[in-house]
Amino acid sequence: MIQVPCPWCGPRNSMEFRAVGESKSRPDVSTTTPEQWRHYLYTKSNLADWVTETWYHRAGCRRYFAVERHTVTNDIRESRLPAAQLRRQSDSGS
Amino acid sequence: MSGPPIAPIPVARSPIVATPPVEVVAGWEVSTHRSTAALRVSDLTWLCKVAVKADANGAFTARHPTTFGSARRLPGDLIEIGSDPGGWLTIGPVGDAAALVERLTDEVADAGEMVSVIDLTHGRALLRLTGPDSVGALAKLCAIDLADAVTPNLAAFRSSVGSLVTDVVRDDLVDGTLSYLLHCERSSGQHLFSCLVDAGAEYGIDIAGPPI
Amino acid sequence: MSTAVTTGRRLAPQAGEVIDRRAPLSFRWDGKTYTGFVGDTIVSALVASGVDVFSRSFKYKRPRGVLSATFHDPGCTVQVGDEPNVRAAHRRLAAGMEVSPENVWPSLKFDVGAANQLLGRFLSSGFYYKTFIKPQRLWPAYQQILGRFAAGGVTAADAEHGYFDKRYIHVDVCVAGGGPAGMAAAVAAAESGASVLLVDEEYELGGHLRYGGDADLAALAELRAEVAVHESIEVMTNAAVTGRYDMNWIAVVQRQPGISVQGHAIHERLCKVRAGSLVVAAGLIERPYVFAGNDLPGVMLSTAVRRLVNLHAVRPGDNAVVFTANADGDACAQDLRRIGVGVTVVDARTDANIRRAEGGKRVKTVELADGRRVDCDLLVTAVGWTAATPLLNMAGDRPQYDATAARFFPTDRLAANVVVAGALAGDGSTSELVAHGAAAGATAAARAGHGSEVPAPALARVPHPELYRSTTHGIVDFSEDVSSKDMFSAKKEGYDSIELVKRYTTVTMGPSQGKLESANAVAIMAEAHGVSDFNEIGTTVWRPPYVPITLGALGGRGFENTRFSPMQPWHEQHNAKPLVAGDWIRPEHYGDPAAEVANVRRSVGIIDVTPLGKLDLRGPDVPKLLNLLYVNKWSRLPIGAVRYGVMCAEDGVVMDDGVTGRLGENHYIMTTTSSGAATVWEWTENWLQTEHPDWQIHVTPVTTGYASMNVAGPKSRELLGRVVSGVDLANDAFPYMHVRTATVADIAGCFMWRIGFTGELSYEIHVPAAYGLHVWEALFDAGFDLGVVPFGVEAQRIMRLEKGHFIVAQDTDGLTLGFGADLGWCIKLDKDDFAGKPELVWQSRRDDYQRLVGMQPVDPTIVPAEASQIVEGTKKIVGRVTSSRMSPTLGRSICLGFVEPRLATPGTIVTCQLPDRRRVPLKVIEGLAHFDPDGARMRI
Repeated sequence: MIQVPCPWCGPRNSMEFRAVGESKSRPDVSTTTPEQWRHYLYTKSNLADWVTETWYHRAGCRRYFAVERHTVTNDIRESRLPAAQLRRQSDSGS
Repeated sequence: MSGPPIAPIPVARSPIVATPPVEVVAGWEVSTHRSTAALRVSDLTWLCKVAVKADANGAFTARHPTTFGSARRLPGDLIEIGSDPGGWLTIGPVGDAAALVERLTDEVADAGEMVSVIDLTHGRALLRLTGPDSVGALAKLCAIDLADAVTPNLAAFRSSVGSLVTDVVRDDLVDGTLSYLLHCERSSGQHLFSCLVDAGAEYGIDIAGPPI
Repeated sequence: MSTAVTTGRRLAPQAGEVIDRRAPLSFRWDGKTYTGFVGDTIVSALVASGVDVFSRSFKYKRPRGVLSATFHDPGCTVQVGDEPNVRAAHRRLAAGMEVSPENVWPSLKFDVGAANQLLGRFLSSGFYYKTFIKPQRLWPAYQQILGRFAAGGVTAADAEHGYFDKRYIHVDVCVAGGGPAGMAAAVAAAESGASVLLVDEEYELGGHLRYGGDADLAALAELRAEVAVHESIEVMTNAAVTGRYDMNWIAVVQRQPGISVQGHAIHERLCKVRAGSLVVAAGLIERPYVFAGNDLPGVMLSTAVRRLVNLHAVRPGDNAVVFTANADGDACAQDLRRIGVGVTVVDARTDANIRRAEGGKRVKTVELADGRRVDCDLLVTAVGWTAATPLLNMAGDRPQYDATAARFFPTDRLAANVVVAGALAGDGSTSELVAHGAAAGATAAARAGHGSEVPAPALARVPHPELYRSTTHGIVDFSEDVSSKDMFSAKKEGYDSIELVKRYTTVTMGPSQGKLESANAVAIMAEAHGVSDFNEIGTTVWRPPYVPITLGALGGRGFENTRFSPMQPWHEQHNAKPLVAGDWIRPEHYGDPAAEVANVRRSVGIIDVTPLGKLDLRGPDVPKLLNLLYVNKWSRLPIGAVRYGVMCAEDGVVMDDGVTGRLGENHYIMTTTSSGAATVWEWTENWLQTEHPDWQIHVTPVTTGYASMNVAGPKSRELLGRVVSGVDLANDAFPYMHVRTATVADIAGCFMWRIGFTGELSYEIHVPAAYGLHVWEALFDAGFDLGVVPFGVEAQRIMRLEKGHFIVAQDTDGLTLGFGADLGWCIKLDKDDFAGKPELVWQSRRDDYQRLVGMQPVDPTIVPAEASQIVEGTKKIVGRVTSSRMSPTLGRSICLGFVEPRLATPGTIVTCQLPDRRRVPLKVIEGLAHFDPDGARMRI
């Protein structure tokens, strides 16, 4: 079982988390087309490479965060706050 | 039958079946069984539990420097736990919830910050596992490293204990005896209790009523 | 020393013996009584008593004796009492053991030739596949015969699960293998400051030193003493590292850890280890030689003989032929001479060889390559080693064959947190192996953050003859009875990859999983292909587990959560039939659900709805969140009001529903379905954390902070009037779809809302959970004269169906979009955004989806089973029944279900096919409600 480095709790067994999947940005609902929306809902790039994923620490801090994981080796090179929170931090100038 | 019904006197109950002898103390049905076993588990569900949510960088945080993943003992028999990022849980004496909610709410009332104070006394089951072998028993249920270097006294974490999401606080007794507080959502309390009793059987675990 | 009676095969005391001659044990084997000593294995005690045969082989039913005298010995699997598949060459003898042979159909003494004739059709390679082709009508007969073939013992049908334990361990360094290199690695790692787990398969540390000579025993004593002084080394013997997974997640199975829980001994403990580094010091396994007769009892590996002689003081035979290619074989010959066994040495290094062994239940004669025949009762082979590399393979390595040393060696493809120690890396004296192990241990500790790395001294690769098969054919896989001839046949039939040959012949697929056989299998494949470099053949992949694990150990103790409401003791006292609803136990009914319905419709009933999900929502931005999560609008919910809402997922599929009430300016309580509580909470957090971190909202799950009870029926107001204070219950003061905080039965801090899932005047009361039972009992006391009775989930399901209220995931499924579930009235497409909006916009422009409708069987006595299809003609499915019940209120059957849009018009007659293929007509009704469609009863 791999360990996932939670930005809040540190490394924990992957069983404590829900692997939400590849991180994607939600299309603008007012302009999206069926093709774009269903791409957002259903398609996965499924790369044998570094991918950015969202994980949820269900049995720990209950925080969503982003993880850069190599899908072949399971190496994880970074875990960080979700993009929206990082944007908010930089917007507020902190 | 008619006429005004006779209202029974309210009794509060833990979700964990109390080990006889059972008495009503401070309005709660509790076990008064005493134990001198080296490894003991006690149901402390009756203690008050108050959760606070606040901005991690705000006024409440400035006054309550208990960081996420740690706990502090405070005057008045309180334990303040950094239970979530931007979240605290304070455990205090039985019956003190309303006063505690009021005090914590008042503290930052004019700070202009959104702070939520919620009484979770009824929402959580609370247990204490005490004794040198509590590490051995917990290691049968929980994948967290319980070594001093990783989880020293007053370390707090949430993880899976017996496949149940459980908050654990290492809170050694005054004499240094190893001890853990464990709490989970109320309806699973009996499950957590049974898991601990089962895991502790190898070490001769006994059940003790809460200190009165 | 007392003189225990033993037969002539027990030797005088040996320097390294592990038996306690003062402690004789009596046990039974195959119906007769035998004796042995504490420290004996079952097999060593039996060999000492003159027993040669312990099992019959898997296919050919040939007698099998000792081969390796280890856990992996394929011929020494027995039944002990109720316990099947006990490794008798490993398991220590215990007083009173009832040991019997396994897999001896027809019997241990049955004539071999007769068995072979009888079973001929099943014996060719690939017999599993060939046998089951044709004719199909014979399959049951084959099943009968093959069933008897199956290896393994018996378990009593009523056998207890037993107490199987699990334990998590965190260490800096885990060492797999407690031989000289492993012990040295553990000591060096501990001296660097690391915590260490040292695991060995045997009952004691020491590896091959245990059955060696005086120098080996002296080195062993020294190493054991060094291990013992380090408190930071946990020694786990009679245990095996069975698998290495990503990030050094390591499975260790500990057998019979010697712990009892409430009088039950723990059989096995599965340890889940997270280690900074793993040192693999698994050593070498002696491999058998392939020749005709190589599986006769009395044909043994040199290490088996040395174990029997030196550890258990047992004479394994009287006249031995020792076929040796190495120093260990020579040492074995020396041991045999020392105890007075006649020895004929056949030295492979002088090109001498053996051709075949002959005999019946024991070897009698060996024919050498030069034609000489030597009579003997013991044939010892020492033809080389198989490197125990499985853990390295699991860590990414693909060991390479070295023809000079005649074995496989690790490469540098290993994960950085795995270090090789000892004989796996090369040959050396004890001190060289210890030095290598110590370096490996220091390096492993350094990689776990303690001390610094030490370069490992090089170990030589001592040349060794390549000896795999003689000029005759013999057994390659002793567990599966696969011969070299079978493998040649497989090649002829076109199986040219080792992985295919493995599956076709089942070579290396038996209980020993290739530990004894894999090198020979590769060699014979190479020979059959005329290939000289084994690396061209490759090896089969080693996967976990390294040793067999009982299913009990994998299952461990059950940790399934069971959740109870605070009123559970009351339900039990009142004979509630328990309903398992996810983790929850709920009352399904208290005896008669139809009567419960009638009572609610007539007077008043109470149901425990504690599992309803409840989220406490606070903050100025809560309306934004509600607008996003629900399909309907929430901006103007007044304080004191509640509203029903439906949530759809981003694909527009109905996900959950419930009511949310506003308790204060910035304070709301959201309820969810019981099964959706956790999902909705995670969903809510997902939106707040990943899309709208700027919104000021605090979400706290309070599901079990409140005991929830729904008081329903025309007399519910009267009942509550007797226990509620602080609230005016009059219809105009506390109308339908409103919420109030109240004191109920002297308990402050309750909130209650008027809603109508059952279709009656009803109040859902949420009480601080510790007082749940108190309030529940107070309600029944107060309403006794009103005829209050409890009702369960079944009565509630009937009443909501009468009212046409759908249940998410009962009446909807993973394809039901919002409009299909008749939710058009509350889906507000003019909101800027909400979860699933685009799909619902597109659905609103289509007309091709099935509709949720109310239906009534024309024959009111027929209740179509739920999931019955609505059909047209013989081949077309045009809908389905999702809920159906007999309505006690209406005295007729009622349904909810989906039909194609053209059939959704009220009055349409559709055809329902029942599970017994009968077809019955159903009539589509106006709206979904079968009872009180205007909702007058809820608003009284």
